[in-house]
Amino acid sequence: MAAIEDLIGELSKLPGIGRKTATRLTYFLLKQPPEAGRRLARALDAVATRVGPCSVCGNLGETDPCVICEDTRRDRSTVCVVEEASDIGAIERTGEYRGVYHVLGGHLSPLDGIGPDDLRLDGLRARLSNGSSVREVIVATNPSMEGEVTATYVRGIVEAQSVRVTRIALGLPVGGDLEYADNVTIARALAARREME
Amino acid sequence: MPPVHTRALILHAFPYGETSKIVRLLTREHGSQSAIAKGAQRPKSPFGARLQVLSEGTAHVYIKPHRDLHTLADFDVTRQHEELTRDLRRFAAATALAELLIRLCPAEPHPEIYDLTVSSLAQLETVPGEALDLASLSVLWAAVEALGFAPQRDACARDGRALPAGATVFSVADGGFLCSRCARGTRSARLGADDRRVLERLIAGEVSDIALLDAKHAAAHRRLLVRFVERHLAEDRELKALAMWRELA
Ligand SMILES: [Zn+2]
Ligand SMILES: [Zn+2]
Repeated sequence: MAAIEDLIGELSKLPGIGRKTATRLTYFLLKQPPEAGRRLARALDAVATRVGPCSVCGNLGETDPCVICEDTRRDRSTVCVVEEASDIGAIERTGEYRGVYHVLGGHLSPLDGIGPDDLRLDGLRARLSNGSSVREVIVATNPSMEGEVTATYVRGIVEAQSVRVTRIALGLPVGGDLEYADNVTIARALAARREME
Repeated sequence: MPPVHTRALILHAFPYGETSKIVRLLTREHGSQSAIAKGAQRPKSPFGARLQVLSEGTAHVYIKPHRDLHTLADFDVTRQHEELTRDLRRFAAATALAELLIRLCPAEPHPEIYDLTVSSLAQLETVPGEALDLASLSVLWAAVEALGFAPQRDACARDGRALPAGATVFSVADGGFLCSRCARGTRSARLGADDRRVLERLIAGEVSDIALLDAKHAAAHRRLLVRFVERHLAEDRELKALAMWRELA
């Protein structure tokens, strides 16, 4: 009983997983062959022991620096600033971006007590300081109020180093329908309109 | 029962469970309320990008009598106060105001508090940068006053004696100004005649004729306000957004 309870307890600490789902997952695992549970345990142990943040960009990986920072074919003059390491995967899947990254580790949120000192901003400053080869910083924080205020703050840091700073465009989802978009999104899309090429 | 439609401001929105969000609302007709927005974390939720902190609009809420958590059916944004994100100091002041209201505004109709809050946000959004310190102090003191917690300043906060004009002492513990007898031996903040006048004007929300504060005075006023609020409105607990606002020069 204690082992089952332990697992339910651990699983229910995961984001988005309540006690009900944790219980369902636990009993699902118990119905599998024992090897399935051991494989999951080994995978968890492997990420806990081998994966850590890159000391340059904050990306998560098994090497330090991470594979992106180590890749000599990447353009080190462009740095894309994201909130979380998981955002890197989303941008990498586009295959469109050849620069490097900087992970902030969250966004500014006064109500949650998250201020500038809680983000990896010193690391960003260091990457942009004297002798840096960075020519452009792309701010790709989320399109939320917290993401925007974080973008503003990052912009101040980048501009203080006389480096160009750009913000990813925010607007309508591709394949979406204008009629069903909410008015906040439509307003953003209008504000970010551009000349037709 | 059909939903009620009320003007409302989102004071905070955070994930709840696997797919939903909880929003803390300041409504004009029903005071401060919490509501669950079911499915709002799903990528294709009809709530879309609408449930942002400090957004103003019309909330459609199923109010369940005698319950703490209601159900948000929809939220039509009329104003997002996006300019507040162009400056962390403005955003911190606005969220500190939201934090005070979350903590202290009752679940009863207070249209005057709603109207004050909406105009305070507009003020924080548009005030010139050099006047932001004064504006943020005045909107926060005005909220403290509107919520019924203003410091005692007409008479001594300890024994009720009349206060002479001029310099005085502000005791956070006693909740206001002290007469010279009660002030003897206390380590409370001494206020010169000018500082006292500034503080009185800030609490009354009349700052148009006050000279801009220098950095040192502004920081002292921020610390005083935060100590007062933590002591009298928050049972000595730290309020996170308010603490961040205090530290941002
Ligand atoms: Zn890296
Ligand atoms: Zn007295």
